[in-house]
Amino acid sequence: MDAFITWVQATSLSHFIVFQIWVWPLCETFHFVGLALVIGLVGFFDLRLMGFFRRIPIDAVRELMPFAIAGFLTNLVTGGIFLIGHPEQYLHSWVWWMKVLFLAVAGLNALVFELTVGKHLGLIKAGDDTPVGAKLIGAVSLVSWLGVLYWGRMLPFLGQAF
Amino acid sequence: MLAWLEGTALATWTRESPSIWAYPLVLTLHTVGLGIVVGASAVIDLRLLGVARRISMPSLAPLFRITLWAFVLNTLTGVLLFIADATHKAGQTVFYIKLGLIALALWNTVLARRVVLGPTQNDAAPSSRHSRLAVVSLLLWFGAITAGRLMAYL
Repeated sequence: MDAFITWVQATSLSHFIVFQIWVWPLCETFHFVGLALVIGLVGFFDLRLMGFFRRIPIDAVRELMPFAIAGFLTNLVTGGIFLIGHPEQYLHSWVWWMKVLFLAVAGLNALVFELTVGKHLGLIKAGDDTPVGAKLIGAVSLVSWLGVLYWGRMLPFLGQAF
Repeated sequence: MLAWLEGTALATWTRESPSIWAYPLVLTLHTVGLGIVVGASAVIDLRLLGVARRISMPSLAPLFRITLWAFVLNTLTGVLLFIADATHKAGQTVFYIKLGLIALALWNTVLARRVVLGPTQNDAAPSSRHSRLAVVSLLLWFGAITAGRLMAYL
């Protein structure tokens, strides 16, 4: 791992990210915009999956997901830039690995959704309650994304300080 | 006045308590609140722009309430973060830009709420007024996030 970190740190891309003073604040700004899109849009869908906002047709809420995915990709790219800039800071931090773990849970949960409830979403009409499985998937999604945010925010405070 | 604020027990606790429940928790709640305020606003804005048209405008009413509560959370946590570092933050131009952008965004949300929940709202095609409210909202919140982030750097 340390050899990998040293190699990344020596790349010109890593130098560019660290030494151009505008790169980091710019990426952080977009990272927060992406965060808001994921929390707001996915959170809204999660709550409908859990049975809230029943007046709203659930497959219409799903039409918002491409924008949530755009927010997630924004954060994957900007997060990747942070990682290339300071690999030692993240790869040596258990807090960052917790964030990755929660991301994996959120991703697996989304996969389970696509393979199960997501296939028959049209069966849930406006006004309908949702099945237990949908409620569970919605709750796991909500908790795991809030966890991703929590561990990300804790990076400077817990474990190896920045 | 600012120095007095910074010296209050509450400000000192927020800033100096080694507890993970002090500054880190306040900052995390401020970020969650940001996600809810801007994210829920984005849902309303996207709907105003014509995305997910099968969502009727009046059924978005709970999102305005959620936005309001998240905004209250961020006002409270924002006050704590401010008093913990009052003399520094009060001297930052970008802090006042952030507050100004938030004020404008809130005013825009009030106008959007009237359109979305008003009796004359039309579920079919988005009007230019709808699009204008949505684009202004997205730009103002983007600006507020940018100004907030820059407070850590300038």
